[in-house]
Amino acid sequence: MIDSRVQRVAVGPLTGAPASARTARPGARVAGAVLCTVGLALLCLRSQLAAAVGLEAVAMAFWVWARAAEDAEAQAPRWAWLRRPAAALWLAVAIHAVWPWLSHGRGPVRDGMLAPLRWLEAGAVVWAGLELLAGLPLARPYSDLPGPLLAMRPWLPVMLPAAGFMVLWRQSPHWLGISPVRHTATVLLLVTAVLGALRAFARRQWIASLRWLAISDSALAGVLVATGVVPERSSLLLWLGACGGHALLLMGELRGASPRRGPFITRLWRAASWTTLAALSWPMMIALISGKRGVAWAVSFAIGALPVCLNAWVTVGRMVAAPERRKMVRAGAALKLTRLAPLAVLATGPVALLVAWWGGFEPPWRDSAAALAPAVLGGMAALVARQTQARPVWRALRGMGRGMPAFAGAAFQAVIGIERRLVALVDGLVRAVASPLHDLHTGDAQEYLLFVVGLGVLALVLPLLQ
Amino acid sequence: MSPLIVVSILPAVHGPLSGLVKALGAMLPALHGPVIPALACLAAAALLLLLEAREGAGAMEVASLLVLLPLAGVVATAPHVEAAWPALAVALVVAVLARHREDLLHSECGIKLLWVMGAALALSWGGLELLAISTGTRALAEQWAVLRLDLESSIGWSTALSLSLLVGVVMLGGAPFHFWPADLFQGARPWLAPLAVAGIQVCGAGWLLSRVDGIEQFPTGQRIVYSLLGTAAWVALVAGGVTLMVQRRPERRVGTLASLNGALMLASLAAPHRGAMGAGARDIPLALWAGHLALALAGAATLSRFAAVSAGSPSAGPVLFRRHPWSGILGLYAFFSLAAVPGTPGARLWLGVARDLVSAGRVGLLLALAVAWLAAFGAAIRQLREAFGVVTPAAPPGRPVAWQPRAAMWLTGAVLVWMALSGIAGTSQ
Repeated sequence: MIDSRVQRVAVGPLTGAPASARTARPGARVAGAVLCTVGLALLCLRSQLAAAVGLEAVAMAFWVWARAAEDAEAQAPRWAWLRRPAAALWLAVAIHAVWPWLSHGRGPVRDGMLAPLRWLEAGAVVWAGLELLAGLPLARPYSDLPGPLLAMRPWLPVMLPAAGFMVLWRQSPHWLGISPVRHTATVLLLVTAVLGALRAFARRQWIASLRWLAISDSALAGVLVATGVVPERSSLLLWLGACGGHALLLMGELRGASPRRGPFITRLWRAASWTTLAALSWPMMIALISGKRGVAWAVSFAIGALPVCLNAWVTVGRMVAAPERRKMVRAGAALKLTRLAPLAVLATGPVALLVAWWGGFEPPWRDSAAALAPAVLGGMAALVARQTQARPVWRALRGMGRGMPAFAGAAFQAVIGIERRLVALVDGLVRAVASPLHDLHTGDAQEYLLFVVGLGVLALVLPLLQ
Repeated sequence: MSPLIVVSILPAVHGPLSGLVKALGAMLPALHGPVIPALACLAAAALLLLLEAREGAGAMEVASLLVLLPLAGVVATAPHVEAAWPALAVALVVAVLARHREDLLHSECGIKLLWVMGAALALSWGGLELLAISTGTRALAEQWAVLRLDLESSIGWSTALSLSLLVGVVMLGGAPFHFWPADLFQGARPWLAPLAVAGIQVCGAGWLLSRVDGIEQFPTGQRIVYSLLGTAAWVALVAGGVTLMVQRRPERRVGTLASLNGALMLASLAAPHRGAMGAGARDIPLALWAGHLALALAGAATLSRFAAVSAGSPSAGPVLFRRHPWSGILGLYAFFSLAAVPGTPGARLWLGVARDLVSAGRVGLLLALAVAWLAAFGAAIRQLREAFGVVTPAAPPGRPVAWQPRAAMWLTGAVLVWMALSGIAGTSQ
């Protein structure tokens, strides 16, 4: 529904020209693009200050685009939440600036009274990363909303989970040492991965699904960072393969569905996405299930397997070859990139696992088989379902499964609804407490005099009461 | 190139520019004293007064500048505030407010200020008298020495001690007394409000400093003062931060930021190793705080007169930002400095106090400071976004903003940039 609305907005009603062409504001577009690029580049640096400036720049970029958008009144408030993660990182920066000798060892929290500062810093960094990853209930459905820059609306929100992962990955020394924060982040990331996969599964349109797949991939990669089961570089490569692959697919999709033009390139992309997802899920599942037995193992497995299985199903099953209408495809840089990119994506997963193995990742084969099963089964099931449509058994199964996306969508909406109600409840409670306090203050001059006199009397009476 | 593009890019290239900034700062003479900021503030007030005179307020109004001289003097001599100055400063401000009796907001501000400050002064003077009765002497050092002997019950002197501090807390404008700076910025004339608020706040800080001088000789009293100032600072920071989040009028935002800066001074005094508790109580950078406060208030208050009240939905920016964006940006810099946004001289002050609090182990107060800082930072960004507003195809209004307020913003902004540059260079050395 949202995408059709985007299409309506994107094309002028009378001229047929793209609306972006009519409302082109080069200043805002350039400023936003520069800010966004610089911001994302700064997020790649180890420095916390650079990360805070980077997030602020990304938030500023969205605002610059939003204020220049045709529907600025809707866009500006919609993306105002991006200030929250930036503020959280600024808080972490401030704590470091105030207490420069803050250490980040994994050992017990030291320095007694000042320990809350370490917790606060870790919490602030995780907050920033999680909120960008749609991991907090405050702005979770942002990926369903079009971005503020008309020319890039459908894929602009994909940048945000990438920024969230970069914050969690690059700033990991600041939060991995605080166990409660790390455990909470792991749980929230898993919930995000599940919700992202459900939403991707529920959306019928391939472009919309890709946006949610990027979120789910980033959340799964975030679990890798939180659990520390593979070296840092390996986590980055695995995320780059999975999320980057989906982002490239999205970009290609918006440029004439180039990754799906022809059966060969479609198969290549399908294999690449599936492989990187399997590579990402392997260590992630190992981290969840290793060392567990019985019910704990089953629960952990189920929680990890659900998003992986759904992502594999969507990635493999929804990517169908688009008919090429042109008699001769014009060779160009874009075409070469479309053919080379899946090869690079395909190689990323195995290379990342090689790096992980070099760094000491050697899980037992039984655990590995279980860890790989969700990705393999999800993808296989999607393949089989598509290729064996003629058989009556599969037709029956397809009929049964036709309602599953709607069910997934309803489940997602139910969770979002509950979260919204909880947030509204907290907001209402705060207002209920604040409202009488506000009403106490009338602003009359006499009130101030009475207040000071009251305080004076209190100062006289309190020592007597003691 | 649009100013917005330049301003939006600046934070992103902050790192690479820092070397250049340090080199620039090293070339400038250090600006730590409050004299130049006080003079700049006075010049800004004169410019605004000139505008008022041009608009038909009469030549006699220009003579009001003479009234501002003592207030600027209070800021300029901040480390040496005498005990009698608070009453004189309040009396002066109330008198100026009362002179424009036909202006309802002026009169209201005058009445509020008179009642609150008058009552607070009376209570504090009462406290001083009680202390003198308890100890038999008016000399502060002797009072601590007598009290240390523990000759009588603590009820009398502890009540007297807390009452004697009251006017300092009220004059600093920390919540729950944060209404008066906001009222003054909303109700008083633009040329009067910044110096009046800064002058009164500096007097309040000076009062507190003079009252706790040498108290380390009397540990029991030291503990009480430490606790009282800490509690006052905590309440002021948290309540001020929360207030800032819900405020919609730019003038009141400036007022609440002024009160948060007052709370910052309270927090500094509550850090025992440097503030009231230490031997070098006068070492608190009161001069730097006072100079920065006056200057930032002058710039931000001028800006606030041209900024729109927050509406429910975003709208086009005000005339100032559509016709003269660079002037607006300098005004915003003053606002940002007041809100301690990183890269401004205000941020250095806040960071310094936060470090003092960590050294003193006052984590609760530090957390309150963090809440207030985040609220102030958020308010500054909100102000920036509202100032630039959304892009509209309509042409900017034909009538420009008068040159006097723009010049005032350029002046205060330039001196603040000077402070920032010289501060960065000083830190790097």
